[in-house]
Amino acid sequence: MHFDDLAHNWGPLTASGLAQGAIYALFALGYTLVYGVLRLINFAHSEVFMVGSYAALITWGFFGLDENSATPPATEVIGYVVLGVLVAAAISGITALVVELVAYRPLRRHNAPPLAFLITAIGASLVISEAVGVATHRNQRGVPPLIQPADAFTIGNTHVTNLEILIILLTLVMMVGLDRFINRTRLGRGIRAVAQSPDTAALMGVNKDRVISLVFLIGGLMAGIAAVMYLFKIGTTRYDAGFSLGIAAFTAAVLGGIGNLRGAVVGGIIIGLFENYGSALFGSNYRNVVTFVVLIVILMFRPSGILGEALGRARA
Amino acid sequence: MLLEIDNVTLLYGRIQALHGISLTVNEGEIVALIGANGAGKTTTMRAISGLRPIASGRIRFAGEDITKLRADLRTVRGISQAPEGRGIFPGMSVLENLEMGAYTRRDSAGIRADLDRVYGLFPRLKERAKQVGGTLSGGEQQMLTIGRALMSRPKLLLLDEPSMGLAPMLIQQIFSIITEINQQGTTILLVEQNAQQALSRAHRAYVLETGRIVKSGTGTDLLHDPAVKDAYLGVA
Ligand SMILES: Nc1ncnc2c1ncn2[C@@H]1O[C@H](COP(=O)(O)OP(=O)(O)OP(=O)(O)O)[C@@H](O)[C@H]1O
Ligand SMILES: [Mg+2]
Repeated sequence: MHFDDLAHNWGPLTASGLAQGAIYALFALGYTLVYGVLRLINFAHSEVFMVGSYAALITWGFFGLDENSATPPATEVIGYVVLGVLVAAAISGITALVVELVAYRPLRRHNAPPLAFLITAIGASLVISEAVGVATHRNQRGVPPLIQPADAFTIGNTHVTNLEILIILLTLVMMVGLDRFINRTRLGRGIRAVAQSPDTAALMGVNKDRVISLVFLIGGLMAGIAAVMYLFKIGTTRYDAGFSLGIAAFTAAVLGGIGNLRGAVVGGIIIGLFENYGSALFGSNYRNVVTFVVLIVILMFRPSGILGEALGRARA
Repeated sequence: MLLEIDNVTLLYGRIQALHGISLTVNEGEIVALIGANGAGKTTTMRAISGLRPIASGRIRFAGEDITKLRADLRTVRGISQAPEGRGIFPGMSVLENLEMGAYTRRDSAGIRADLDRVYGLFPRLKERAKQVGGTLSGGEQQMLTIGRALMSRPKLLLLDEPSMGLAPMLIQQIFSIITEINQQGTTILLVEQNAQQALSRAHRAYVLETGRIVKSGTGTDLLHDPAVKDAYLGVA
């Protein structure tokens, strides 16, 4: 164990953990939103994320940008980043919608049992990741150097990079926006109604299918944004990039209390932080071990997740 | 005729809950549906509101065949159900629950007026506007269900045991409110265990026994029918 490492690097580990956690949080929202209204773990959500990362790379590719390009001038960089985020969000959103329409809606029509949904979810996940795997020859692809990591500011030995700031701020904006949408608008109320009581929601005139589509779309948009942030932070993507990251994001959703939006954020941040602290303490090989130990310990004390009780009570 | 149910059967898996029931509700009426526990009253409501698909038969509403129409679209057409028991959104405030009742409407001025009307009928709901639905008392939840059903400004209001679990004082009050709502122009189909009250308030009534309609007539007729008295009014 390297307590001195942890103590010495506490600041930078925290900054990087927060940024990583923010990515998990955006990613986890899709799991938790869909679970909230359908009681379904959409395993294909990890592929929705992965597809978003490719959408951004391909978009930049249209402009001749690849990993070997030189960094464009700052004004152009802003345009490229915004464009990449928008396209990735759109493509991920559409992918999520298609998954719902093709894989899940027909099953709902036939009142399929939960197990059928589970196996279809896994199937949809495999189909997408394998299709991308074949198309890309299972190679990884690097991000063009749009954002050169630089310290935005320093406190003591803590260097906070421009990228970390961007990720955290963007996540914050998306979260506040989503929170407002869910809690303050008519459509958001419709989503909460279906989550709390689908039959009663139908009696109020809520079109359940439309709410479900909306929820998949929102989850997809968030995953697409997370995918671009991930690209900048990690530098590469691959057909199976969604899988391992998806496990962490799904864990974040469960940890925070699945079905609870704020829980996804809390869970994402905790996982992001503990992954970083854990790697410093035990070495990076133990990254995932630390994550799951944290998950198990927290679930022992709060079986329905950190903020899960609100949902539990809401459904009593 | 506002609502016409023709020879409707309904299955829960292999259990047949409705064996070909037919009933009608005319515009402006209060029609009561009475029957013992498990007779199929709630099931009939679900068939009308579309929460459960029917196995055979027809349902017509305001001249339109709605047999195959989705539940949410029946609400848009003007059918509003206050479900049995605690059919509220437990995680939403009283106000949000009421706003859910007006989900299909866009006329914010009209919605505000109806909110005032519901608050007028149930002052308690106004006092509790910010309280979360799940923490209301049983009686308050019952009021909320009825008030919320009114917020869609329905042509037909389906009330499933509105007096259930209420104190005697409150039962009187709820039934007065039902009459008042009806006099303000809403047609009502009322399911009740409290046959005495229901029959004396209703223009017409049907008696349901194990998924079949066994008797119908005006409220007063049934109130004085010996068999009904015997079985549902607790007097010999
Ligand atoms: N979801 C269901 N699955 C299977 N059987 C059901 C279901 N709902 C109701 N039933 C059965 O259908 C029959 C009619 O039930 P229903 O709820 O309509 O009765 P009810 O007249 O409303 O009774 P109560 O006065 O107790 O509310 C009962 O035998 C009941 O057990
Ligand atoms: Mg009932």
